[in-house]
Amino acid sequence: MERRGRWLAPVPLVLFFVIINGCMYALFTRRLSNNFGSAASVKMVDVGSYLPHEEGSKLVRIDASLTYSADDAAELPKMDGAAALVPVYAAFIDNLYPKGTVKYEGGTFSDDNYYGENFAADSAMQYNNTVRGFTALVDGKTDLFFSVKPSAEQMKYAQEKGVELVCVPIGREAFVFFVNADNPVDGLTMQQIRDIYAGKITNWKDVGGANRPINAVTRYPGSGSQTTMDAIMKDTPYGRKSVLAVFGASLGYSFRYYLSDMVADSGVKMLSVNGVYPDAGRIRDGSYPIIAEFYAIYRSDNTNPHIPEIVDWILSDEGQEIVGKTGYVSVR
Amino acid sequence: MSKKGYRRLVLAIFVTGIVLTLAHLCYIIYAYKQCSVIYFIAKELW
Repeated sequence: MERRGRWLAPVPLVLFFVIINGCMYALFTRRLSNNFGSAASVKMVDVGSYLPHEEGSKLVRIDASLTYSADDAAELPKMDGAAALVPVYAAFIDNLYPKGTVKYEGGTFSDDNYYGENFAADSAMQYNNTVRGFTALVDGKTDLFFSVKPSAEQMKYAQEKGVELVCVPIGREAFVFFVNADNPVDGLTMQQIRDIYAGKITNWKDVGGANRPINAVTRYPGSGSQTTMDAIMKDTPYGRKSVLAVFGASLGYSFRYYLSDMVADSGVKMLSVNGVYPDAGRIRDGSYPIIAEFYAIYRSDNTNPHIPEIVDWILSDEGQEIVGKTGYVSVR
Repeated sequence: MSKKGYRRLVLAIFVTGIVLTLAHLCYIIYAYKQCSVIYFIAKELW
């Protein structure tokens, strides 16, 4: 009997580790679907659905008055951009560039690698997202870059490299805050948002919600979302939170497009800000309080004659029609 | 099994548990930095 008790003694120890790791899995691990890894992972944008010159692509197609032929192919500007703007600049390529200008390593599109896509180095379309894409533009590896306003750090990088950039606003987008769909809170004021991220409000019950800590989620530095959040918080330091907050209910931010179209997910809901819900009408009429412009950005010393031509076209009725039909708000 | 052997077995279970838990924690920290924030919030327990 005593012998059997001795053999059973390690069981509570094993159970202890199983329970600890089970809790870690339930609270965190199962929620961590990453932007890296296989094609099955949850990606910021399903690039495969927005490929130029492909049948069944979701890109907006119009009868463009500016088109290029295969003879121009070698000198057409390479376009790159933020994840949220892939459907926009891929549509520009689709409508303006001839077939064969978008190329893939190995010949066919695949998103089953570390960063997700396999555009060839000489392809007219690249997808490096905000941080790597901006660096590629400054380093002269791409010609036209589409994103929200570059962060102060990114502009400093360009300055250090002696590169002057031209930023042309081509569209507008709402910056939204969101929570889990089961969170009873439906809206916040701008002041509440600032107080939450500054650490002055730490529990949802203080803004009319459940008695749970607020996990104010931030993004990685240099991303479009983080740069916009920096502008909202101005000089107020933010992003520091107690360790316990990670066990609370989250508040996140992003651009509306990710939540309304690109990432189909019914598990989250967008919040009203100052009582205004971020639907397309409220963005267009300017009543939603946080609107960010997005830009076509290029190096001022880039002598490619097609760049000003294309930017002018983007600002024309045709280019703006693509911006609008893709789900953004045009600047004209 | 001798008393010494038994102690070694318990210690081995403990060390293995700690190492696996730490590895799990490291994965969480690494993956959190690169995860989809929308998915992370959508899968929150309520």
